[in-house]
Amino acid sequence: MSQSQAKEPKYDLTKISARVDRVKVSGLLRTHNDYVMRAADGLFKAANFQELMMEAMSARSYLHELGIFKDVSVHIDISRGADATPGQGYEVTLSGKEYSRVMGSAGTEIGQNEGSLRTELTIPNLFGRGESISLQGTYSSTRANDLQLKFWKPFFHTRFRENRPEISLSIFRQTDRFDISSFQTTNLGYVADFSVHTMLGLDLTHSLQYENSIRELNLLNNKSAPFGIREHCGPKLASLLRYSVVYDNRDGTVFPTRGILLKSTNEYCGLGGNVAYVSSTVHGEVNVPLIPGIVAQFCGRVGIMKETKNTTQLPISNLFYCGGPLTLRGFKFGGAGPVMEGTPIGAQTFWCTGAHIWAPLPFAGVFKSFANNFRLHFFYNFGNSNNFSTENMRSAFGMGLALKLAERARIELNYCIPVKRQNTDKISNGFQFGIGYEFV
Amino acid sequence: MQSQLLNQMHTADKLSEEPWPEDATLYQPFDAEQILLPENASCLAVKAYLKMCGLPFNIRCCGNAENMSPGGRMTKLPFLRAGAFIFAEFEPIVNFIEQKDMAIGSWQDPDEKADMRTYVSLAENIFTMAELYISFKNERVYKEVTAPRNGIVFPWPLSQIQNYTKRRNALRLLKVYQWNDLDIKHVIEKVSKCCETLEYKLKESPTTPFFYGDQPCELDAIAFGHLFSILTTTLPNMALAHTVQKYKHLVDFCVFIDDKYFQSKQIKISH
Repeated sequence: MSQSQAKEPKYDLTKISARVDRVKVSGLLRTHNDYVMRAADGLFKAANFQELMMEAMSARSYLHELGIFKDVSVHIDISRGADATPGQGYEVTLSGKEYSRVMGSAGTEIGQNEGSLRTELTIPNLFGRGESISLQGTYSSTRANDLQLKFWKPFFHTRFRENRPEISLSIFRQTDRFDISSFQTTNLGYVADFSVHTMLGLDLTHSLQYENSIRELNLLNNKSAPFGIREHCGPKLASLLRYSVVYDNRDGTVFPTRGILLKSTNEYCGLGGNVAYVSSTVHGEVNVPLIPGIVAQFCGRVGIMKETKNTTQLPISNLFYCGGPLTLRGFKFGGAGPVMEGTPIGAQTFWCTGAHIWAPLPFAGVFKSFANNFRLHFFYNFGNSNNFSTENMRSAFGMGLALKLAERARIELNYCIPVKRQNTDKISNGFQFGIGYEFV
Repeated sequence: MQSQLLNQMHTADKLSEEPWPEDATLYQPFDAEQILLPENASCLAVKAYLKMCGLPFNIRCCGNAENMSPGGRMTKLPFLRAGAFIFAEFEPIVNFIEQKDMAIGSWQDPDEKADMRTYVSLAENIFTMAELYISFKNERVYKEVTAPRNGIVFPWPLSQIQNYTKRRNALRLLKVYQWNDLDIKHVIEKVSKCCETLEYKLKESPTTPFFYGDQPCELDAIAFGHLFSILTTTLPNMALAHTVQKYKHLVDFCVFIDDKYFQSKQIKISH
């Protein structure tokens, strides 16, 4: 149909006037009626048939976003009956299929040097207005088991629909291993999150979080750890506010071809508890299409952490560890920073940048859409810790293959050649494997 | 196995070569507000031993001393940092100093040494267990002294969790040594038996103030550490102190050691 339309606009749908008489949303079993009410808002405003079609589509995607339906289909029919608008009255039926009461999933994840099993159990649409609870567990081969219980409630059905407000509360237990510095932290606590979208000139996504957690630091190698790290051992109570804001107009999350991403995360820790610091991280990404299929990408990240007047000791686990496949390729994770007795101890400031040329696989056409999950890239990374000048900076270049994973994550296998390094750095010359959401 | 032995020998060689480090530091919890009875006893024993050896050391008080410790059999405290080496608890620290040939008691012949070691291990086990028992099993002592002191370095909800974990670990340790279902009477009995044995040993050389001959040894340090701590710590339940007080020779011994080695203790500790 679209083809014939493009060739000769035989039927100009904008000229066919239309009026929606009735909108019906069917398939609501557990969901309250008022939760889907706003799906009809746009439809009633449609004046011609093309608008009606567009609005029906957006109503469908709106219903999807509400997080109650597995699948939604749209039926448009002429309205009948006594009340029908003669000649141009239509009836729109949005029939959805609700999620089942309990949803489960299991999968495997591969991290830096461990394999892990992830299971998730979700109860969607708990009270009929999109409230959901999920329990997520990750069991890894290194016995660093993570657990998260999350409750969230979207407010897309209110008059702030465009702002997409959402609140969530999670209880979590999370273990982070810093193998290179031979310690690990176990965090146990809760996070309350409020996120909202604003459209004042720029489309920004804000998220304000309050976290209260017990962070316990343990040594992984009790004999050889430097004393400076040993001094951080033991549990601490952190109470912090985190504000992050994201601007994203890219055309894709994993392999974008154009657009800008800017993300800033700011933490103020020290509202009670005995951990105090302020930290700020900014991540940026610019994508420029060169010739069809070839994209130039420039990334950068800067982090600063400062003491507050309550600080007795900056928490070593929140310092910045520069190096590794997500920041400076060609270096081991955390291997491009200050050291104590040969062991990396994290930096108070760091910066790193990366320049990429992304290209599709050769003969990509042969494999059709499957090849869309792969890209080749050439990269050059620069960066440094505790120093904002370009003197003594670290750099590496190389090329590699990247794989898209579920529209969110990226897996990279790169051949890296470190160019500039410092004597204490831990490099990884040759093949390096990386998995993550946010790369430089 | 062989490589492990070689390794040990190698470490021993390295240890004996190096002189006593200037900056040797003993890490312990805060004396006034935080430290618990068993930990205090163990710290005092180590301090007494180091002083008897005439080795200089600094004392550093840390709220997280127990977490920093490389671990041990009982209290994990105190731990000694000497150069690159870290040792926790009385026995490993004593072994370390002996490897350096700076230890007291090198004049003892092997038989006497083995005999003395038996007393050391008896005193350490019985007293530590009794101290743990009174600190964590006695409800009043736990509520009024142990819990508030243990939790003092942590902010509120964390202090409760830490108290719970600490008590659970202590009770587990008591269970391992089969002290968990004793009642206080049995504990007192065990302590008085141990005191009796020690007093008997002390009386074997009535002319000298020490357990063995006219020089101090490990036993003097460990006995002093525990007895003095028990005698001087005020608890809602003073059963242990009352038991020890019955042994006049041991009390005199404590006073003597305190005078001889800890004259300036009050001044030194207040830093």
